[in-house]
Amino acid sequence: MKPKIVVYVFPGTNSEDETKRALEACELDVALVRSDDKTSTAKNADGFVLPGGFAHEDRVRAGAVAAHDRAMDVVVEAAEKGKPVLGICNGAQVLLESGLVPGTSKARRPSAAFAPNIPGGRFRCVHTYVRLMIDPSRSPLLSALPKAAVIPAWVAHGEGRLAAALDELARIERDHLAFAYSAADGDVNPDAVPNGSALGAAGLINEAGNVLAIMPHPERDAWAFMHRYDLIAARTSQEALRPSGGIALFQSFAKAFA
Amino acid sequence: MLDVNEQPLQLALSPDERERVKRGLGREPSIVEWFAFDAQWSEHCSYKSSRPFLRRLPTTGDAVIIGPGEDSGVVRLGQHAGKTYAVVVAHESHNHPSQVVPFEGAATGIGGIVRDVLCMGAHLIGVADPLRFGTSRESRYIAQGVVDGIASYGNAIGVPNVGGDVYFDARFDDNVLVNVVALGIVEESGVIHSRAPRGSAGWDIVLVGKATDRSGFGGASFSSLQLDAADAEANKGAVQVPDAFLKSVLMRASYRVFDVLREEGLEVAFKDLGAGGVMGCTAEIVASGGLGARIELDKVPLAEANLPPPVIAVGETQERMCWVVPPSFTPRLLAIYNQEFDLPGVARGAQAARIGTVTEEKRYVATHHAQTVMDVDIEFLTGGILHERPYELPTPPRQGSIARHADLKDLLPRVLADRDVCSRSAIFERYDGVVRGTTAIPRGYADAGVVAPVPGAPLGVALGLGGNPRYGALDPNRAAVQAVVESARNVAAVGARPVALTDCLNFGDADDPRQFGEFVTAIDGLAQAATALSLPFVSGNVSLYNTSAGGKAVPASPIVACIGSIADISKIASPALKARGSSLYLLGARQDALGGSVVARFVGGEQEPLPEIDPDQVHSEIALLLDAYATYAILGAHDISDGGLAVAVCEMTFGARRRGLGARVYSCNLWAKGIGTAGAWFGEAGGFVLEVADVAAFEELAKTHGVVPLRIGEVTETACVVLGDAEFDAVSLCEAWSAPLRGFYDLSEEAP
Repeated sequence: MKPKIVVYVFPGTNSEDETKRALEACELDVALVRSDDKTSTAKNADGFVLPGGFAHEDRVRAGAVAAHDRAMDVVVEAAEKGKPVLGICNGAQVLLESGLVPGTSKARRPSAAFAPNIPGGRFRCVHTYVRLMIDPSRSPLLSALPKAAVIPAWVAHGEGRLAAALDELARIERDHLAFAYSAADGDVNPDAVPNGSALGAAGLINEAGNVLAIMPHPERDAWAFMHRYDLIAARTSQEALRPSGGIALFQSFAKAFA
Repeated sequence: MLDVNEQPLQLALSPDERERVKRGLGREPSIVEWFAFDAQWSEHCSYKSSRPFLRRLPTTGDAVIIGPGEDSGVVRLGQHAGKTYAVVVAHESHNHPSQVVPFEGAATGIGGIVRDVLCMGAHLIGVADPLRFGTSRESRYIAQGVVDGIASYGNAIGVPNVGGDVYFDARFDDNVLVNVVALGIVEESGVIHSRAPRGSAGWDIVLVGKATDRSGFGGASFSSLQLDAADAEANKGAVQVPDAFLKSVLMRASYRVFDVLREEGLEVAFKDLGAGGVMGCTAEIVASGGLGARIELDKVPLAEANLPPPVIAVGETQERMCWVVPPSFTPRLLAIYNQEFDLPGVARGAQAARIGTVTEEKRYVATHHAQTVMDVDIEFLTGGILHERPYELPTPPRQGSIARHADLKDLLPRVLADRDVCSRSAIFERYDGVVRGTTAIPRGYADAGVVAPVPGAPLGVALGLGGNPRYGALDPNRAAVQAVVESARNVAAVGARPVALTDCLNFGDADDPRQFGEFVTAIDGLAQAATALSLPFVSGNVSLYNTSAGGKAVPASPIVACIGSIADISKIASPALKARGSSLYLLGARQDALGGSVVARFVGGEQEPLPEIDPDQVHSEIALLLDAYATYAILGAHDISDGGLAVAVCEMTFGARRRGLGARVYSCNLWAKGIGTAGAWFGEAGGFVLEVADVAAFEELAKTHGVVPLRIGEVTETACVVLGDAEFDAVSLCEAWSAPLRGFYDLSEEAP
């Protein structure tokens, strides 16, 4: 039996289909479930993914309203039981707003935010790489990745700049900084940061290592044909359609259920 | 009855047209009727000036499933796993609204074009936006608002922005051009028409979307009026208010309806509400099926109580669409929108509601609380009118080019930094180009954007654009030829086969013979080039009256989009240099003509003739290019356009920065004999620069196509660009090219 994954779709979510495809390519059984779903599909899931988009129109601020959606009660309960939860882009914003990540507040209050990009708070869409910054053995979601793994992804957000109080940033840097923006060779440097994010942070993880929030989209660079702008790599249509690049993160996520 | 001649009603209809309405009805029209005819007979809806000329365009071809006439054109793409897929494409302008309220104008432009594609039963796979901005300080605010509007709306609905182009010219100061293209994918058997099916008398007419409000009242007539600064405030009321959040849910709910319709095997009709609002849409959807309609205006869901009947009938509130379905299906349809996708919970008053019935009798009847407020012959209403406009053809310069010299060392960095050449990334990075996870070549990486719209299938769709305002200002006919040729070249450059065209024709006043003459001669240019390339126009739009109060028109702007089909997504490439030691080839002879070129700003010749274009030769070059891609003889190709060959080579190098590759091009005496150095390096005669891996195979292939390619250089291992005996550091050239638009949002900086 394949592990059952629920991808939650809030009103305004827009990346559910490609997220589902990437997960399915990793031998997972994926269901798209609307956030107002009243069946028990979600409760029985083995893991959860919150995809990108503009849940509830990002009213108030990105992820703020969705964090109070009833669907998040299910996600929080699952996360506290240790089930794997992955949030990408808007999903990552929801996880921070819900206090699950970095999860340093005992009362599960938000302790950090993905704030408007610098400069100008403007939406930016650029290709990037992210480098794994923690020991992969610390998280079941990441344990299949090599140390300092570099994964390609697309930045596509207006609010992705990590912001927190200084002492909280120090805690994040020590225990929760899962991914930082990097060059293709894994070099972490200020030029690689597209949005002014503190610590160059691209992804954060909770203490237990089962909840990961990542801003850039690995699912949008997850197939060989998506690297066409870079090199002619594939010589046949089969090669062009094989999973590649950003799929590595989803493959590692899938290993959490092994 | 009100006497409109005493001006209690603000109508755009001319006194003559008002007489024709009265004569046709045999009585004084009601107020609702006046507004209905005002919208339906506007230039925007009826194409009353342009229609006879549009017939000159070729519109048929093997791949065409639906040509012009419905909400969008539909073109066959290819088969996968036993299913035949088609691309849906629509192309429009939102010029006037964007000049008045740039953010909302541009956003509703995207919103409207997306509905046009959605209503064919298609899933949205891409949008693109050709933009023409002014250079004044005020224009820069407009430019920012337009870009923000496109970003805000397109990003939220989750449709990738796959292409577009941007030009800056002072002649757009009073009239920005904001064109939009949308692409969709549909199984051929799932195409939904925008006309009531045969035998649908007695069926329900269902309105779905945003609750009707006062916004967008008079939009159709507004867009056919000249813009006057004093009227700008008054005109703001005619611009619609976008709601991308609601649209995002509406799209998903409609996708669900498509699935159910397919399961039930039902043939229905679906149409976008645009110009003319409820009346315009419902009248056209039934009239095109040879039927009539009875609409109960009081059944239209309203955002505020007591809206007057004319506003309900013709107001252009956004985010609305209309279904014609059998009554047995109506409850299911309403349940999907209102319960399953909970439209009322997404936006106040949003819902699907039955508002009328299709009738056998060819009349359009509207009632309001059982009072008949409109009752007219539907063919008279929707048949539109024709105006025969006098026109005067322009006489562009066609002779007098001279050989000019260019100091490469001095000019190359300046040409790269020119406002029409420099990098546009500050603009297109604002748009989500990769949502849906189907983008193969994102915007800005190549001459055309490419998506692979069917997950798991090797099929691809490319979108290329053409439409150079410097050309349009000088020679509208040749500008039109060039727009077609350029859009097709852009598609071929990535390895896609050009299969169909759309156009948006942005011109001045129809009642100014000289401005209308530019339109007429441009149509002929479009027809000539499209015929030579065997490409049909499958949809399009005409935007006239792009004229300021002073009577100045924008440069003739026939803007063309070309759809390319890709059977095997492994056989495409970007123009970025890829391999040390491969050879650079030129297709397309260089010319001395610098008319309309960027370099002419520096060396003179701006008003001289445009380069000659031979569409038949272009046809052969494209055929060669596609064969070369199919056999992997080439690694990439770049279309030669703004800034000429030198800029094309530089851009190929910039794309290879990470690989540390460079280019060496031999002295132009070797490949542009007898041509001045300005024309050789910077002339904008069309063509391609190719990176060739297998020289022998490529040259052999060229012979079979009767094309003589010129070997002009090679790919080197140093990050340098060497052009003849001028050597440049690629990094500093790239900086010169990248810098100018970085200050797009910083108004303290000078315009580039």
